Amino acid sequence: MNVKINLDQLPKEELFGQGNVGCKGCGGAIAGRQAMKVLGERTIITIPASCMATLGGNNRHTTWKIPFYHTLFECAPAISSGIRAALEAQGIKDVNVVSWGGDAGSADIGFQSLTGAAERNEDLFHVCYDNEMYMNTGGQTSSQTPYSALTTNCTVNGKKTNKKNMLKIMEAHDIGYVACASIAYPADLMAKFKKASSRKGFSYIHVLAPCFKGWGIPSDQTVEFARKAVESGLWELFEVEDGVRTRNYEPKLIPVKEYLTPQKRFSKITAQEIEDLQQQVNTRYGKVGK
Amino acid sequence: MAKELPIVPTAVPGSSVETSAAASWREYRPEVRESQKVNREVVLFCPDGAISIEKETVTIDLHICKGCGICAVESDGIVMVPEYTGVSGVFGVKEGNK
Ligand SMILES: Cc1ncc(C[n+]2csc(CCOP(=O)(O)OP(=O)(O)O)c2C)c(N)n1
Ligand code: SF4
Repeated sequence: MNVKINLDQLPKEELFGQGNVGCKGCGGAIAGRQAMKVLGERTIITIPASCMATLGGNNRHTTWKIPFYHTLFECAPAISSGIRAALEAQGIKDVNVVSWGGDAGSADIGFQSLTGAAERNEDLFHVCYDNEMYMNTGGQTSSQTPYSALTTNCTVNGKKTNKKNMLKIMEAHDIGYVACASIAYPADLMAKFKKASSRKGFSYIHVLAPCFKGWGIPSDQTVEFARKAVESGLWELFEVEDGVRTRNYEPKLIPVKEYLTPQKRFSKITAQEIEDLQQQVNTRYGKVGK
Repeated sequence: MAKELPIVPTAVPGSSVETSAAASWREYRPEVRESQKVNREVVLFCPDGAISIEKETVTIDLHICKGCGICAVESDGIVMVPEYTGVSGVFGVKEGNK
C-alpha cells in the first residue's frame, strides 16, 4: 500500500505540543507533533513513565487535546488493549488506540506487555520513541543505547555491548506492520503512522528522536542529528508490511564519523570502533559513500 | 452505572498553553527575516508548535517558543537573536550567535 503525505494539507490544529513542559529542542515532542498531525482527534494514547509522559502536563494542565493516559512503566500496551476492548464493547470503531513508550518503556521495562499485545495481535499500535537512554531519570544506559556511548552509568569507556535490535524482535512476532522512522523525515514518518492507523491488528513503529542533553549536542541540532543518523546509514528507514521489506529512503552514506564524533556521548569511541561501524554500514548497503 | 461516577477535577485539554513558562527560559529568540524563504517543514520540526505558516505569512508564537534554535538551523529566513538586547548592547553579543 502506498501512502503519500501532502505537507500542505495537514491540519493546522495542534493536538499535542503547545505549552509542553519538556526541554527546549525535545526530539520526543517533535515525534509526537508529527504523529498527531496524521492521527487526528479520534485517538486515545497511553504513555508509560518517560519524558513524553512527563512533558504532557501536570496537575490540572495538559498539552494533549486527546485522551492521554499516563500508565505505569510496565503496561502501556496492556492498557491500550483494555481500551480497545472497551471501545469494541461499545461498538465504537473509528478510534486509533496507540501506546507510546520510550526505549526503556518499549524494549526493557515495558517489553513484556509489548510482546504480549503483539502476540495477541491486538488492534492497536505501539510507538517506541528512541532517544537511546533512560532520559527521564537522568540518562542511564538502555538496551537501545548504541555501542560505545557514554551514559550516566557507563561513564568510563561507554557501553560495551550492542544496541538490541528491537525491529527484528518485533518482526519475529509476525505482526502485519513494522516500521522504522526518524523525526528528520516527517513525510516518511507520517506516512508510516497513517499506514499503521489504517490497518487492523498490531503494528509497531520505532522512531529515532534524539535528546540533545543525553547526546551532548546543542539544542538546535536535534533534527540535524536525526538526519545524520540516517544519511550515515546507521539508522535505516524501512518498513515490513505483511512480510515484505521495503527501504523507504536511500541514504547519501556520509562517513559515520560525521555523525558520531560531534556528539559528546561518543567522546570515548576509538578509531578502530568507528572503522568497524563504517565496515558494517558498507556491508549493509553493499556500497561505499563518497 | 456510569452516571454514579463522581465528578473529579480533570485537566482541561490543551491548557498547558496558558501556563507556559517558555518565554522565561529563552536566551535567544527566533526572528523571521524573509518569510518567503522559510522552509514549510519547520512547522513540523518545532517541538513546541510555536510556528504557523499561512500562505506567505510566518508567525512565531513567542509565548510558547523556548528558543531551541531548530527553526533557524532547519530553514533559511529565520535567525536567532539574543533575547536580552540590553546585554547585547553592553557586551556586544553578535546577532545570530548561539
Ligand atoms: C517500574 C518503574 N521503574 C522505574 C521507574 C523510574 N523511571 C521513570 S521514567 C524512567 C526512564 C524512562 O526511559 P525511556 O522509556 O527510555 O524514556 P525517556 O525518558 O528516555 O524518554 C525510569 C527509569 C518507574 N517509573 N517505574
Ligand atoms: S526556536 Fe525552537 S521552539 Fe522557538 S519557534 Fe524555533 S523551533 Fe520552535
